[in-house]
Amino acid sequence: MIKAEHVSFEYFRRDENGNVSDMVEAVKDLSLEVKQGEFIGILGCNGSGKSTFAKMLNTLLDPTEGEIRIEGMSTRDESNTWNIRKNTGMVFQNPDNQIIGTIVEEDVAFGPENLGVPTDEIWSRVADALETVGMTAYREQSPNRLSGGQKQRVAIAGVLAMQPKCIIFDESTAMLDPKGRQEVLRAAHMLNREKGITILFITHNMEEVVEADRIVVMNLGKLVAEGTPQEIFSHPEQMQEYGLELPRITELAVRLKKNGIPINGTILDEDTLVSEIENVAERLSGGHAERAAYMGQKTQAEHAAYIEQKAQAEYTGDTEREDPAEVMRSGLILDHVSYRYNPGTIYEYPALRDVSLSFAKGEFVAIIGHTGSGKSTLIQQFNGLLEPDSGHIYFEGKDVFEKGYNRTHLREKVGLVFQYPEYQLFAETVLEDVSFGPKNLKLPLLEVQQRAFQAIEAVGLSDAVYDSSPFELSGGQKRRVAIAGVLAMRPDILVLDEPVAGLDPVGRKELLQMLQQLNQKGMTIVLVSHNMEDVAEYADRVIVMNQGTVDFDGKTAEVFQREEYLQELGLDIPVVTHVMKRIQEEGYQVNAGEYRMQRAVEELAAYLSGQV
Amino acid sequence: MIRDITIGQYYPVESVIHRLDPRTKLAISFLYIISLFLANNKYMYLLALVALVVYIGFSKVPLKFMLKGLKGIAIFILFSVVLNMFFTKGDPFLDFAFIHISWQGFRTACYTTVRIIFLVLGAAVITYTTTPTKLTDGLERAFSWLKRFRVPVHEIAMMVSIALRFIPILVEELDKIMKAQQARCADFENGSIWNRLKSLFPVILPMFVSAIRRANDLALAMEARCYRGGDGRTKMKPLKYTVCDRVTYILLLVYLAGMISLRILL
Repeated sequence: MIKAEHVSFEYFRRDENGNVSDMVEAVKDLSLEVKQGEFIGILGCNGSGKSTFAKMLNTLLDPTEGEIRIEGMSTRDESNTWNIRKNTGMVFQNPDNQIIGTIVEEDVAFGPENLGVPTDEIWSRVADALETVGMTAYREQSPNRLSGGQKQRVAIAGVLAMQPKCIIFDESTAMLDPKGRQEVLRAAHMLNREKGITILFITHNMEEVVEADRIVVMNLGKLVAEGTPQEIFSHPEQMQEYGLELPRITELAVRLKKNGIPINGTILDEDTLVSEIENVAERLSGGHAERAAYMGQKTQAEHAAYIEQKAQAEYTGDTEREDPAEVMRSGLILDHVSYRYNPGTIYEYPALRDVSLSFAKGEFVAIIGHTGSGKSTLIQQFNGLLEPDSGHIYFEGKDVFEKGYNRTHLREKVGLVFQYPEYQLFAETVLEDVSFGPKNLKLPLLEVQQRAFQAIEAVGLSDAVYDSSPFELSGGQKRRVAIAGVLAMRPDILVLDEPVAGLDPVGRKELLQMLQQLNQKGMTIVLVSHNMEDVAEYADRVIVMNQGTVDFDGKTAEVFQREEYLQELGLDIPVVTHVMKRIQEEGYQVNAGEYRMQRAVEELAAYLSGQV
Repeated sequence: MIRDITIGQYYPVESVIHRLDPRTKLAISFLYIISLFLANNKYMYLLALVALVVYIGFSKVPLKFMLKGLKGIAIFILFSVVLNMFFTKGDPFLDFAFIHISWQGFRTACYTTVRIIFLVLGAAVITYTTTPTKLTDGLERAFSWLKRFRVPVHEIAMMVSIALRFIPILVEELDKIMKAQQARCADFENGSIWNRLKSLFPVILPMFVSAIRRANDLALAMEARCYRGGDGRTKMKPLKYTVCDRVTYILLLVYLAGMISLRILL
């Protein structure tokens, strides 16, 4: 189906005067063969050349060296272009930027219209394609009103209507929430299984390729590894070297192994891990029936009491919530806040309903909830960007919408980082961009510069970037510059909307650790996130938003005890908690409330080796 | 603030006007505007009003929603009122200190205001009742004769249609970037005009960058879906006239005949 032989792609980077400054080899000597009906996962960190390769398959780019053949047709021969594009459809990253039609069905028809398919057949193809991806109910709607996952499904339908043999997903899940990711992934597998369509699935997310037939890993333009998921994920060091990670469940198994628990093979799914752990328990102690005897002096009842106590400690916690008077004086308080969009029109809808919240100094809070639950509207209340229809917002004990309140002070102290903040960069140099905030505060020049320097340092960028243009930096670096721009105002509270969206594994880890450090230095961090794993690892308190209301507000341990409740809201519990719960259900007395990986590993290791 | 502008927004309800062929609605808009420029007495304005009421009534778009769209042109109306009122010479209507308003000036100001409002409302109905795709389809067909003069009608129509699709997305983005800079204490509301203009730079530049990035993405996506201009392209929904359209054309002709006879007779 696809045959790439020694393919390279080079391009020249030019300086301001149009002279070639350096040559970039995006893809180097890559050979790959894909058979009809395969599901291939392509992994690689940002800048590894995977998107460039995908575009060459679709003749959107021409290889500078080597040859690609699609169904025997060379991509070099221009007369093949349309046939190749018809056969290898592409679904891109940004759902908004690939939908051409203003109505769903008209967009799906775009491909067949271009191919000159007769009107009657266009209708039947559109109907079939929408039916296949389950979007028939939305056929007459505007794409602007759909969720990200739905938009991507429309894009898939648009490709399907051209009746391709192969579909390339070029990071199509990167900008979606977990539900949207699931929708797209499920559609890809379904097309592969039921229609025999070859799938090339490019992603940063390891979980999405564990069910692939084959995984291809790219690094610095080269194909560095190729094999079954089993093979690929059995080399954790190698993955790290390529800027990737392991699926969570595999990571858990690897860490258990490191802690002396003899687990066999590379684990890719939960069932296998749970049964492996059971096996180990059987082998070590002869099964849980004799567990109490094995544990020696401790009785089963005593152990149960110990677990109970441990779980209790998690709930109430040693870090008591700060006393209300102190929060009143220095914190941020939302008091019965409601907000409606477009009041008085048919587009009116209530985004926030009677929300009351408070944030004390030094907290690490996560706000979760599915798309459209009001998270983004909520955080815009925090620094007075949106004025509530009713209710009050207090900061440092003062009502921020009272006449004469200095809102600049509020925005200085409550920093807000929007989603994809790199899109708001504008200045000629990094330093200038980061200085924008402090300059608006009318601080003396020296102070402005000092703050900018410190902020750039705080986000982990070297001083070499001061004078470079922010537009020349890599995606991850741009994001850090944008965050530095907010940090330079020295906020007490830093609010971030999905700050790791679209970053590769290394980028997201570094960014989250940076937030953790800021938090340890006393800054309050409020993190809006879709990723339960991130929430579990970093947040102490979780706020669940649902239909514009605060549905739950409590400790991280508490929220992740409510699996059914979270699933009802389209959310989930972390993989670690899932595993712990299942082991407990099998009759082993471990703390099922554990949600941080390291602690779960320690707990399991101690339990299994009988040291509890 | 920017989201409040309703002019040019498709209003999704079922109505006869929504179902009309876009070419018919283009003809209505065009001929209605011409008829307004013919109007020179109150009976003609009355007839134009009746036609407008019927047109809007059948479209089922709430009048309140349409009137909101007028806000955007309020300044323009005010400007023309001032111009007409103070600078038309004639018999005095109001003479107070340095204010001199003539009867004729007052009359012209009133008529001009009515004319602008009718014109905007009449021309706007098509945008409220026609999806952008249909509108551009209609424009493409209505102007297809220009192809003979090598005007790239299809390409222009495609550009317009894409621009229309991206307006809401870009408006949302503009809103977001403005808020993001406001979160960094940018001030768009105070200071001299020069300062306010200068403060827009951190908004406009990212908007340009974003628009170019989106255009690039979209071009790739279109190419990947085999787009290669208008030649050999088929349509999912080719335009076809129905009975409704024929009836509408007849009514339109009756209206025009009425206007012309009123002008000649009175």
